[in-house]
Amino acid sequence: MDAIYALIDTLLPFEWTEFDFMKNALLAVLLISPLFGLVGTAVVSNRMSFFSDALGHSALTGIAIGVLMGVDNYLLSMLGFALLFALGISAVLASGNSSADTIIGVFSATGLALGVVLLSASGGFAKYSSYLIGDILTVQPQELLLLLFILIAVVLVWVLGYNRLLLTGLNEDLAAGKNIRVGVVNRLFAVVLAVIVTISIKWVGILIINSLLVLPAAAARNLSRNSASYHGLSVVISLFSGVTGLILSYYWGIATGGTIVLTAAVVFFLTFLLSRLRRR
Amino acid sequence: MKIFRLKSSLLSRLLALCLLPGLLVGFAGCSPREEKESAFQIVTSFYPMYIITLNITQGMDDVSVSNMAGQQTGCLHDYQLQNKDMKNLETADAFVINGAGMESFLDKAMEQLPDLPVIDASEGISLLGAEEGHDHEGEGHEEEEVNAHVWVSISNCIQQVENVTSALEKLDPERAAQYRANGDAYKEKLSALRDEMHRELDDLPNRDIVTFHEAFPYFAEEFNLHIVAVVNREPDSQPSARELSDAIRLIQSTGVKAVFAEPQYSESAAQVISNESGATLYLLDPAVTGEDDPDAYLNAMRGNLEVLKQALA
Repeated sequence: MDAIYALIDTLLPFEWTEFDFMKNALLAVLLISPLFGLVGTAVVSNRMSFFSDALGHSALTGIAIGVLMGVDNYLLSMLGFALLFALGISAVLASGNSSADTIIGVFSATGLALGVVLLSASGGFAKYSSYLIGDILTVQPQELLLLLFILIAVVLVWVLGYNRLLLTGLNEDLAAGKNIRVGVVNRLFAVVLAVIVTISIKWVGILIINSLLVLPAAAARNLSRNSASYHGLSVVISLFSGVTGLILSYYWGIATGGTIVLTAAVVFFLTFLLSRLRRR
Repeated sequence: MKIFRLKSSLLSRLLALCLLPGLLVGFAGCSPREEKESAFQIVTSFYPMYIITLNITQGMDDVSVSNMAGQQTGCLHDYQLQNKDMKNLETADAFVINGAGMESFLDKAMEQLPDLPVIDASEGISLLGAEEGHDHEGEGHEEEEVNAHVWVSISNCIQQVENVTSALEKLDPERAAQYRANGDAYKEKLSALRDEMHRELDDLPNRDIVTFHEAFPYFAEEFNLHIVAVVNREPDSQPSARELSDAIRLIQSTGVKAVFAEPQYSESAAQVISNESGATLYLLDPAVTGEDDPDAYLNAMRGNLEVLKQALA
């Protein structure tokens, strides 16, 4: 870790990197934002943004369950509940009884309400309110290692399974015709999303985690001409918003997560205008 | 005619459906009101008031004390009034509040209960401003111009005990002597503890501390501690990067040895500050949550004494 800190000190000898917590936050941004940029592309093109939003909300329920069971680290209870939640939604979705947004809305509302009820019953909501907006400034070195592993794992999944995921998102019947097991692909993607959202929620925050998934990919979509540039642009925009937001939030003394999202939103509207101009 | 009949049957079915939950609940809901179990019922707004009142009414079987916000709620920053609270207040003979703006969310509810005698425990205590001696960038509690954490100073707590005792004497003259005896006994214990803490703390060399949230100004005033910085004034959010680094620089430049977090809130930000600045992290308890035990306040303060002895030596 000291070597990395020293490297940051030489490369970025600025005021905002003076303290270790900002170095940690920078590293966390450098790990989380490409992850979100990458996964976000599939969220946007498979029309899953509402689904990932619901997953974020379910984290609150996971925390509440963790509190009730008296575990110190809420990661396990959150992860367990998010997986159950994600698989529950995909199972109900697969039965095809109602439209996707309705089903997800039902699950999201139920999960959030359950979380609020459980947390308020055990008293003291204040202790967990940091999960709502996240605190990327308190990320610890060992947690950075965890993020690095997740990033590597997700890149691997992407390299191996992206074509199948893309085709499933485009047209399920076509995908099934090409011997792709649509159910398995959908469920695997739901699990990947659940893991990513749950692990990063502590630093990004329940309220804004979905914006980080959707905005960079949506902005990239405005500009990209093919799948490769779509992914590349999404990761670049995500990284840019993350680092810019972190620096701006330091100098302006404002909440980091919100600033990152606002930066990404500005990029989105710029690319939107750009694509309109180009089309003329 | 037939249409009408169809309509009416549909209507009656709908009506029946609407009434069904009422009926189901009715078995529980229509049971006769519970008789008052005790002759005099006192409701307290939150934990510190509960502990004070518990001490004043100790050993009095016909007086009941119930705490509105529950033992683990802490400060009422984000408390929402629940149905059972209003029910509790309606049958209460006295309502003990901290005052000084802590229960400001209750103003609306209190308008509906004009006959309920409210005991404001902070009456006559000189209050500190919410931002005493600190620079503050605008985003304050608008409703809270004064600092409400009055009870954290033992002297103020003694004054609160006195306020509650004399108010109860007036409201319930039959048992006045008992309230007085209990109240005086508790005040005795508190002032003994205060003297002990002064003996132990007054000679310690370091007086500069950094705290989180606004709970300790009264305590610091009492024991002549100097709060160099309050890092996170808003209990519901995390400090920004700017606030964190300003606090770290301040600690490094002033040589503060101790950072105090509170057990009621997440301590991750305090941990960061302590790691970066080299100041040690301690937990200081403002006695705002705890066990259902009359001695809880005394025990919390004794714990604080031990922590401070270690931190300021």
